Amino acid sequence: MMDFTNYDCGGFYDEMFEAEGKTRPHYRTFAQRFEDLSLEEFHDIRQAVDLAFLRQGVTFTVYSGDEGTERIFPFDLIPRIIPNSEWVSVERGLKQRMHALNAFLHDIYHERRILKENVIPRHYVESAAHYRPEMADVDVPLDTYVHICGSDLIRDHEGRYCVLEDNARTPSGVSYVLENRQVMKKAFPRFFPKVGVRPVDDYASILLNLLKGVAPDHIENPTIVVLTPGVFNSAYFEHCFLARQMGVEIVEGRDLVVQDNRVYLRSITGLQQVDVIYRRIDDDFLDPKVFRKDSLLGVPGIVDAYKAGNVTLANALGTGVADDKVIYYFVPQMIKFYLSEEPILPNVETWLANESKDLPYILENMENLVVKSANESGGYGMLIGPAASKREVEDFRAKVKEDPRNFIAQTPISLSRSPTWCDGSLEGRHIDLRPYILSGKETYVTPGGLTRVALRKGSLVVNSSQGGGSKDTWVLYGDE
Amino acid sequence: MLCRVADSLFWLSRYIERAENTARLTDVNIQLLLEVGHDDEAVEEAHWRDYLESLGDTPLFEKHYERMDTYSVAEFLTFSRENPSSVLSCVLAARENARMIRDQISSEMWEIINRLYLFLRQQDPARVLNTRSSAFFEQISQMSHLFRGVTDATFPRQVGYEFIKAGCYLERVDKTGRILDTNHRLLPAGKTVTESSADEAVQWVSVLRAGAALEAYHRVYVGDVRAREVVSFLLLSREFPRSILFALNQLQLALHAISGCALTHYSNEAERLCGRIISRLVYTSVDEILADGLHAFLSEIEDTANAIALEIAAHYMFSPIIDSEDEPPGEENSQKQVQSLS
Repeated sequence: MMDFTNYDCGGFYDEMFEAEGKTRPHYRTFAQRFEDLSLEEFHDIRQAVDLAFLRQGVTFTVYSGDEGTERIFPFDLIPRIIPNSEWVSVERGLKQRMHALNAFLHDIYHERRILKENVIPRHYVESAAHYRPEMADVDVPLDTYVHICGSDLIRDHEGRYCVLEDNARTPSGVSYVLENRQVMKKAFPRFFPKVGVRPVDDYASILLNLLKGVAPDHIENPTIVVLTPGVFNSAYFEHCFLARQMGVEIVEGRDLVVQDNRVYLRSITGLQQVDVIYRRIDDDFLDPKVFRKDSLLGVPGIVDAYKAGNVTLANALGTGVADDKVIYYFVPQMIKFYLSEEPILPNVETWLANESKDLPYILENMENLVVKSANESGGYGMLIGPAASKREVEDFRAKVKEDPRNFIAQTPISLSRSPTWCDGSLEGRHIDLRPYILSGKETYVTPGGLTRVALRKGSLVVNSSQGGGSKDTWVLYGDE
Repeated sequence: MLCRVADSLFWLSRYIERAENTARLTDVNIQLLLEVGHDDEAVEEAHWRDYLESLGDTPLFEKHYERMDTYSVAEFLTFSRENPSSVLSCVLAARENARMIRDQISSEMWEIINRLYLFLRQQDPARVLNTRSSAFFEQISQMSHLFRGVTDATFPRQVGYEFIKAGCYLERVDKTGRILDTNHRLLPAGKTVTESSADEAVQWVSVLRAGAALEAYHRVYVGDVRAREVVSFLLLSREFPRSILFALNQLQLALHAISGCALTHYSNEAERLCGRIISRLVYTSVDEILADGLHAFLSEIEDTANAIALEIAAHYMFSPIIDSEDEPPGEENSQKQVQSLS
């Protein structure tokens, strides 16, 4: 029997239990069925699931030496469940945030009202690593810059959802959401109708419709492609997966050629014009004529074609400004400025090292703060004060003093935990959530998203490169 | 279909075929030397010099090896990474192409190529070449056959399949030509071919074995192996799948299936050249070929095959529209894949 009698919430906010032995209402139907499984049945299911991931090649590439190896992303069978009423508010909060981010990007590349009115100091935007002056006065279809966004949410000790960061460039991971669900449906077929879980598998068709809707000049049947850096990219599986699900061609930079400011596909029957590119290559590598000259992944001339309005890039150029953690600090102000609304989802409490009123506080309290570099992700370039040695704190203090523009500090959040199968027993592990938000004519949020789990005991780092795994995320039709 | 995908399918297939042929040729030559070599270093060296000469690989070999003995040449042809046509280099190149289009080929095809690669990686060259080399070379051939069979059984009969077919048969035209050419000195232009000496017969048997044609030959021709019949069989047989005419016919079918053009005319240079060389073969008798000299005839075929490869590349793999200065040209060497990105 699978049983939770010895499960310890450890003083954290637990997704499944209000307190030891007291299951939250939205987990009850699941718990009843799950506890009916014998240990043997559970092991059989686990083995079948691991095999399914390996066989389908749901892998990411880890590099060591000159040959990359493909690994499966560790998957935990206990789902993360979110009741409907809770999700409704998260969804509204994410849509609000997306509207504000798109308005912000349009503004800074056009009128610059938010800078002129000094809501955000101009120098922060212009010094952002991914700010693209080339985009000034370039119009994009529907004024949409961020078509696909992955925002990372965490829950604090009271279960409050906060936004940890926005990924407005080329967020990855959505293929795991879809594959995880497929696998869970096979593993626990009878659970789904009983528990009442909202489906996620319309993602590809919604994405396809979104991409069709942002074609230049409202073309009826635009040619859409997925642009990948190639087989050596760690997310190549996902690029293929999405292309196949949408039924569009997957291309590399060398498959495209620009002539007369139009982008063409090199096919064996000749050149075929491309209208919309879902690109999974960062700005820096997109066009060696404009950005990094040494890039072999890109397409020479594509930026000119884009600026001429002959092709749509999703996401647009220059969205990375919003990924800068200093700009993140100002998102609540953006919401008020553009939408005249109060933010539904709060940021994590943040200090800017570049602000003279914040810097002394950061330097004095570094042992109690999380300090992050403004433009790194994946758990790199970060100091977790309470867990760091004196020496590490000193090193970071020096770095922050030297380049305050590139550092922020945040209150450490004790992320919520979820029961997770760990070497023979069920234990609490910290989790986060990355929902995917699609913006075109309408804004859509995946019901749920990718729940990442820090499999190492006590760890707060959920990234796959650092011992993270994933769980299926169930958003319920109801609250129980 | 993307040009890049067509290019990878074509070369993946071509490299597998090349690996198989190189393996078989190496094996046959080692064995031939056992029969005629009499443990004589001078004979051994002369034999391999002739052979490397026919491949055009002598300068490359001499750059990396001091002695031209059986072991060195076999290693050069099998495991050397310096030699782009070695079995190992071909398999690596085939796998790299397969990897780039892994989502476009069947998983069974990928698995065979990967298995072939892992098999080669596990080998200890010194052990293989000093002891049971024949068993090793047979394995390579078998896996190549397995690849063809798996492709036939799992890959849709669409345009991609035709590129695989074109790559395989074009390589076969080239390699069967070279196999025949190794013995051309026995057949100078104008020599009347009647009886072969016993030593020559041994050589012609090994030519048939190198072309994997000995059994098939004996089904058609009873009795001793004779030069005229061997040439006729490997050049002009309509039925034997490794003969040059058969391979050209298959290549032509593939090219026309790709373009959709009827066989009665042509729609591009590759098709025109292919049709023309087929006519040459069909309407030339073996005695005419021998009277004019086998070597000259084979050279014509080889040049045409190279030209066809370049035309396929120019027409399908690198669109000719290119106006920017830094585009990869589809010129130079039809024997090697033009890599625009490594």
